[in-house]
Amino acid sequence: MKILIANRGEIAVRIIRACREMGLPTVAVYSDCDRDARHVREADQAFHIGASEAVKSYLRIDAVVDAAKRAGADAVHPGYGFLAENAAFARACADAGLTFIGPSADAIALMGSKTAAREAAIKAGVPVVPGTERPLDERVGVEEIARMADSIGYPLVVKAVAGGGGKGMRAVDDRASLPAAIRSARSEAGSAFGDTTIYLERRLHRPRHIEIQLLGDRHGTVVPFVERECSIQRRHQKVVEESPSIAVTPELRRRIASAAAAVARAVSYSNAGTIEFLLDENGAFYFLEMNTRLQVEHPVTEMVTSMDLVHWQIRIARGEKLTIDPERALTPQGHAIECRIYAEDPDEGFLPSPGMIRGLRPAAGPGVRDDGGVSVGYTVPVFYDSMIAKLVAWGETRDHAVRRMSRALREYEVLGIQTTIPFFVWLMRQPEYVEGRYDTTYLDTLLASRNGKSFSEVTGEDEELASIAAALDTYLRSRPAFPPSPTPRRTPVASAEAGHGPATAGAGARGPAGGLSWKELGRREALRG
Amino acid sequence: MTFAVEINGRSRSVSIERAAPGRFRVTVDGRAHDVDAVRIGTWGLSLLLDGAHAISRDVQVAPAGGTGELLIRLDGRTVPAVVNGNRSGHSASEPGSHAQGAQSVVAPMPGRVVRVLVAPGDNVTARQGVVVIEAMKMENELRAPKPGRVKDVAVEAGASVEAGRVLVVIE
Repeated sequence: MKILIANRGEIAVRIIRACREMGLPTVAVYSDCDRDARHVREADQAFHIGASEAVKSYLRIDAVVDAAKRAGADAVHPGYGFLAENAAFARACADAGLTFIGPSADAIALMGSKTAAREAAIKAGVPVVPGTERPLDERVGVEEIARMADSIGYPLVVKAVAGGGGKGMRAVDDRASLPAAIRSARSEAGSAFGDTTIYLERRLHRPRHIEIQLLGDRHGTVVPFVERECSIQRRHQKVVEESPSIAVTPELRRRIASAAAAVARAVSYSNAGTIEFLLDENGAFYFLEMNTRLQVEHPVTEMVTSMDLVHWQIRIARGEKLTIDPERALTPQGHAIECRIYAEDPDEGFLPSPGMIRGLRPAAGPGVRDDGGVSVGYTVPVFYDSMIAKLVAWGETRDHAVRRMSRALREYEVLGIQTTIPFFVWLMRQPEYVEGRYDTTYLDTLLASRNGKSFSEVTGEDEELASIAAALDTYLRSRPAFPPSPTPRRTPVASAEAGHGPATAGAGARGPAGGLSWKELGRREALRG
Repeated sequence: MTFAVEINGRSRSVSIERAAPGRFRVTVDGRAHDVDAVRIGTWGLSLLLDGAHAISRDVQVAPAGGTGELLIRLDGRTVPAVVNGNRSGHSASEPGSHAQGAQSVVAPMPGRVVRVLVAPGDNVTARQGVVVIEAMKMENELRAPKPGRVKDVAVEAGASVEAGRVLVVIE
């Protein structure tokens, strides 16, 4: 089974890794700016599918299907985002004789409409958050929506019917701010999903976001997994996820899991999916939506259950029966936390920070998993989501996992662009996070209260060290005898200055042809061609 | 050699004297340190500080845009530093700063202008949103660096902008 991965970045790399492990050949697709991307380099074959803008490449159903045909692929894995929840794409794959590694096009279409999904949940006997019954397209005016809002009650949330990943979502506290929220939700949803339809939902008081991963096979078996807690969100976008949730008892876990499984069975769901719930302070939970794909945060589930969800996705798509022990899927072993590392500058209001990765050393060691999507020399483009890696830490207990995550974040080096790592270092020290006392409003409230203060908290001693490093680095680079770059590892700098010993070895390593190494020569040749 | 290193708004005078191969006498505002320094890769420095204490610190020093602008990475944190010079480009944009003269709000990255929130002649407060730019699939609100009056709005909604493009001028 040859698999085309209709995606890019870390998730494409993640899927390629699973295929490698299963002995399956892989096909990557790429846009103009991704020729040197990691997923292209790690796949067995790679096909160019268009310009850098996602609508001209990764969102083009015809181009992806055509690449699959040219490659002679048997199956397509959509990853998450892009075409992953596009029913037309699932149908186009089926029409082209390709196995779509995901649910049926009908299930995607049904659950992709948030309003239809709510109806399905109600039919399955699962409570939903109170909200508008029908989707509100552009023809429904602000006045009419305002009347519906009055009957639902404030505070509420304006949501894109086609939404996902926190996009096209706006919180509204009162009637006065409703028109602006509708306008910006529609605008963001239009550009992200090509659909400006919205609906309204009541905003619960300080809820937690709890979700249930599940797998369904093509023979009617649905297995729900231990919950993930995703309440650490910035502007409705998850930034930290963990499993299990500190707020969920084993008894509550069973109830939420069976509610999730009931929804999935009601729509004859197969492959990987996730049902999201809000959990209020009294332990009542409400269906929020279903994501008909692999989630970004699937690794935390894999870490606490020792199962590989991508392997299972592929096995299910091949028609295999699920042989997972349901008890094991619901029994967490230890605790796992994931931090989404974004190319964003946390000290500039999390503005995107695209650019060239000049240095990269992911964290490693016991209990640490790096799902990365970039490499040194790659320029993080402005065209796509800014996530460059996911760092996951597993611990025997939650406290252990938090400490391990802190340790791993301090190890993680990304040079050349700004990332959210300093923000996570700071977050892992916040007492509310450490003690698990948080809900979906926690992070935005905390960030607003900081008023732009830097997340890189440094002592006077740290500043002195930084000033020594800055001056030493400038001093050393100003020495003509000091090889500019790249320098061999562990060359004592003073010897390099003196021009003997390891420095000679360094000069030798730079090779023939005027001090250029073979690698540099090769790169220049490639650039010329 | 002596360098002026500015970190978090404070300038320190750092002088460096080579004591032996790989060893330096570094004096920061009069405080002397013995530093054993080894290059690690292109951007790394392994430092052993203060002689017998041999305090080990692993630091990466990467260039950041303008001349003398560096990003120092230590233990998962990032500290911007400027060596021998005034910071160019990003001027003080602290809340409540009262920098004199006109200041521009520039696009920090390429993107598309989604909304312009101010018009020429408007009075704005520090950190008030002035333009919304979409990049990396997110809407990003760019804010006024200081209180003042909008002198010029150089873009309109729908426009594509490159990094560094002046969007709004505030005086």
